[in-house]
Amino acid sequence: MSTLAAPLSVAGTRHSGAPVRTQNVMAAAAIANIVKSSLGPVGLDKMLVDDIGDVTVTNDGATILKMLEVEHPAAKVLVELAQLQDEEVGDGTTSVVIIAAELLKNADELVKNKIHPTSIISGYRLACKEAVKYIQDNLTVTVESLGRPSIINAAKTTMSSKLIGADADFFSEMVVDAAQAIKVTDSKGNGVYPIKAVNILKAHGRSARESVLIKGYALNCTVASQAMPKKITNAKIACLDFSLQKTKMKLGVQVLVSDPEKLEAIRARELDITKERLQKILATGVNVILCSGGIDDLCLKYFVEAGAMGVRRCKKADLKRIAKATGATFLTSLTNMDGEEVFEASMIGEAAEVVQEQICDDQLILIKGPSARTAASIILRGPTDAYCDEMERSAHDALCAVRRVLESGRLTPGGGAVEAALSIYLDNFATTLSSREQLAIAAFAQSLLVIPKTLAVNAARDATDLVAKLRAYHNSSQTKVEHANLKWVGLDLNEGVLRDNLAAGVLEPAISKIKSLKFATEAAITILRIDDMIKLDPEQKGKSYEDACNAGELD
Amino acid sequence: MSPKAGGDAGKVNSAIYKDKSKPADIRLSNINAAKAVSDAIRTSLGPRGMDKMIQAANGEVTITNDGATILKQMSVLHPAAKMLVELSRAQDIEAGDGTTSVVVIAGALLDAAEKLLQKGIHPTVISDGFQKALQMALQVVEGLSTSVDLSNEDALLKAAATSLNSKVVSQHSTILAPIAVQAIRAVMEPIQGGVGARVDLRDVKVIERIGGTVEDTELIQGLVIPHRASNVNGPHRIEKAKVGLIQFCISPPKTDMDHNVIVSDYAAMDRVLKEERQYILNIVKQIKKAGCNLLLVQKSILRDALSDLAIHFLDKIKTMVIKDIEREDIEFVCKTLGCRPIASLDHFTAENLVNVDLVEEVNEPSGKYIKMTGCSGGGHTVSVLVRGTSGAVVAEAARSLHDALCAVRCVARRPALVPGGGAPEAAAAAELGRAAIAAPGADHYCLRAYADALEVIPSTLAENAGLNPIETVTELRAAHASGTQSGAGVNVRRGRVTDMRHENVLQPLHVTASALALATETVRAILKIDDIVNTLN
Repeated sequence: MSTLAAPLSVAGTRHSGAPVRTQNVMAAAAIANIVKSSLGPVGLDKMLVDDIGDVTVTNDGATILKMLEVEHPAAKVLVELAQLQDEEVGDGTTSVVIIAAELLKNADELVKNKIHPTSIISGYRLACKEAVKYIQDNLTVTVESLGRPSIINAAKTTMSSKLIGADADFFSEMVVDAAQAIKVTDSKGNGVYPIKAVNILKAHGRSARESVLIKGYALNCTVASQAMPKKITNAKIACLDFSLQKTKMKLGVQVLVSDPEKLEAIRARELDITKERLQKILATGVNVILCSGGIDDLCLKYFVEAGAMGVRRCKKADLKRIAKATGATFLTSLTNMDGEEVFEASMIGEAAEVVQEQICDDQLILIKGPSARTAASIILRGPTDAYCDEMERSAHDALCAVRRVLESGRLTPGGGAVEAALSIYLDNFATTLSSREQLAIAAFAQSLLVIPKTLAVNAARDATDLVAKLRAYHNSSQTKVEHANLKWVGLDLNEGVLRDNLAAGVLEPAISKIKSLKFATEAAITILRIDDMIKLDPEQKGKSYEDACNAGELD
Repeated sequence: MSPKAGGDAGKVNSAIYKDKSKPADIRLSNINAAKAVSDAIRTSLGPRGMDKMIQAANGEVTITNDGATILKQMSVLHPAAKMLVELSRAQDIEAGDGTTSVVVIAGALLDAAEKLLQKGIHPTVISDGFQKALQMALQVVEGLSTSVDLSNEDALLKAAATSLNSKVVSQHSTILAPIAVQAIRAVMEPIQGGVGARVDLRDVKVIERIGGTVEDTELIQGLVIPHRASNVNGPHRIEKAKVGLIQFCISPPKTDMDHNVIVSDYAAMDRVLKEERQYILNIVKQIKKAGCNLLLVQKSILRDALSDLAIHFLDKIKTMVIKDIEREDIEFVCKTLGCRPIASLDHFTAENLVNVDLVEEVNEPSGKYIKMTGCSGGGHTVSVLVRGTSGAVVAEAARSLHDALCAVRCVARRPALVPGGGAPEAAAAAELGRAAIAAPGADHYCLRAYADALEVIPSTLAENAGLNPIETVTELRAAHASGTQSGAGVNVRRGRVTDMRHENVLQPLHVTASALALATETVRAILKIDDIVNTLN
């Protein structure tokens, strides 16, 4: 075993030992500090300007972090963490980052007090496991016991921190209706809510309160020709995933004509192939054709003659959803199993009405009352584009929250109630252990308090005072049987007092809390275990032995 | 391109030339460089070892605890240091586990050799002495081992758990260790009339997927294809599937560069279009006739493997189709399903298809993947789907699982376990110490130095766990000197020396034996170098 610290020559720089951990923790804390002020109902927004001058105004943790160009590898872990929470849960992206950073900060303190990181890690793991169990056993209520208002409240809680918080009543109803409209049952018989199916369109102009929910599908396209009807009731819809354009020959097929008359014939034929297709479709009584490709101007007259509506360049994803909602077949080709081109009546989808409407500057096509299943689209209105973008993100977060509530059916109180209860519980739990993990669990408990603290600070309230009161309430709820109901107590940030958040309707999906604890712990542990960092230099031609030798690096 | 000897001072630019001509200097430089490598990864040894974060030149971050991966990533410059990187890789290939220990042992041996050199012992004598010591140490380690029955799942579990305990995923070892053991047991083939079993790790496919936590990692007795089906409105779930794996394309053939199909008549245009449809329909009808409802298509570069029209037809006959099966995966797919790739349409018949009980497309936020289970005719292969919260975690979990798989494979190959926690090294050191007293001449010093060097493992384990290394090693020495506690090792959890057999810390004999042998051989090679010659290009 050598005591001689020979410089290890690598093509880059290397740091090891305690400074690396401190550096990583600092980087994580820096990331958390960026998003800290946007937590909670009184959290503020960030304005982000990118290199081409595009402005984004947002309150959403994942969006803020995604737009930052983070260099430090440990900070990148936190950015990834926020993104993961966004994908898996959709909500709570800010809090997950704040918790992870706080866990790291407290761990670093313990390491400085000569506690081995692995002891801290096993303490954190144990604490996370206990916390999750405690949430599941003691801090959740079922949706059934509270009914639809609870779902609306969960949506409201998510929105309360966002730009649309002021109109949360209005939007939460809309979001819950939308989520319930898109419910499908999977193969195992469970209801699932594919929130991507809610089509959110943005149009600036008019106030946010004039946003509308459409029971149907809104399509950001216009009819191909002005001569076509703009409104069709009892629509019969065909969804085509190919172009209705002049048929072109494939590469490698050359059209060679010597006779000018034949040229005409070939040109006519190119058109006729498409015309025949179109006529086959129209013959079955179809009066709306949605097409993902183009529609040739020459074909338009057939539409007009038949009084049908043709829409070109629809998005493929939109088209698939419309096909599902209306019961139409999403066709990539008309060919049947005999190699002939046919269009059968079974491929038609139906809707009560298809209409083109003017919203803002744009014309939209609305497909109302689809026959096969319900669909929902939300058209968001707002004064500026940035405002609409932020509304969309908020609506997305709220939809995710609603989905989680509907799928898992369990809710927890918000406003720091869960964190405070867990902190008391884990503190007590730590004292029952006689191993080194005790300190780590206590640190975990301490770290969770960052959420109520930050909430209070953001609301310009006395954080120390409020958190102390909150802890006192939760302590008595866990020690005295007659005070058990105090476990729902959380912060009321508008008044700066404590209240029963379950009764006040500040609710969050339980799964979001559980996942954010798990993800934050795992990310913190990943960073804590690192004690050596090697940064390799950007690839040059590769430093040779002789270069290193000459530079005297090997002596 | 004339080789230029380092000692030839007359021919080199004297301004930058540094005198390394003396063999002793070269040897010292080599030893120092190699020791630096070993020092760099020492802190990641053992259950309380830490991780390294390596940011590659392209900005990609690797977080790992695996010696071989660390060394591979951190591009060292010195040629002797590179030998240690190679050593670690050799251990990775040979045993798959113990890649950190092998480098740490080599570093300690080099340190010992340096001191012997200073005493004036000739390098070849040291080298021979080390070889003798190695033989003795191997005997001791073999004497410590207990043979295991491969049907005894418990013993295999212990080996896998010991390997996993030093990783970031150690808390999940209760999930990953059984997965590793089940995977190896599923793919191993007992050697007829011999000891142990043959295990080909290529039969265990590890697939990494971000999302979920490590706890969601699962073992699948079947096949996982990490992308979605190509169908537009095809089925997403097929029970009792009949699977065909094809190596031809279902798309219109392309003409060669200098050939053209010439159309000079409008009727011919219809024919061209119709021909294309007929051509594809012909293939699809054959597929339908054979009764195939799941089609796997090998990746094709020159042509579209599937044309849109083909997908349309396959949708119509309710056949799920998965394209872009990588060429190198074909062998695994065939082995799993028990099928043969079908190279031409003529061979696409019912007898070339295989049955699979259930095929489903699993939809997750991070994307879709295909899972096939219940491959009745299949061979001995399994897939493991590794999950984790971020790319770095998933990659590290996959590496840890690989190590655990290798550990179990080592047991299968040579069914014997030795206690872990530095016990075999300490036992060998004790025995070598005794032998040294009896040995005459330079061997005396070499054996003793070797014995001391082996103690680097228990000492590092203790150091990484925050224990006092001197205290621990002396306690361990005393336990082994008494001769009654051959399994005594460093118990990192309790912070003292206990019998590792009682703690269920067991590692494969093959890992320890190969680490000792490979480390010693590398050290002997480094000792014998007395000059570095730079060839200029």
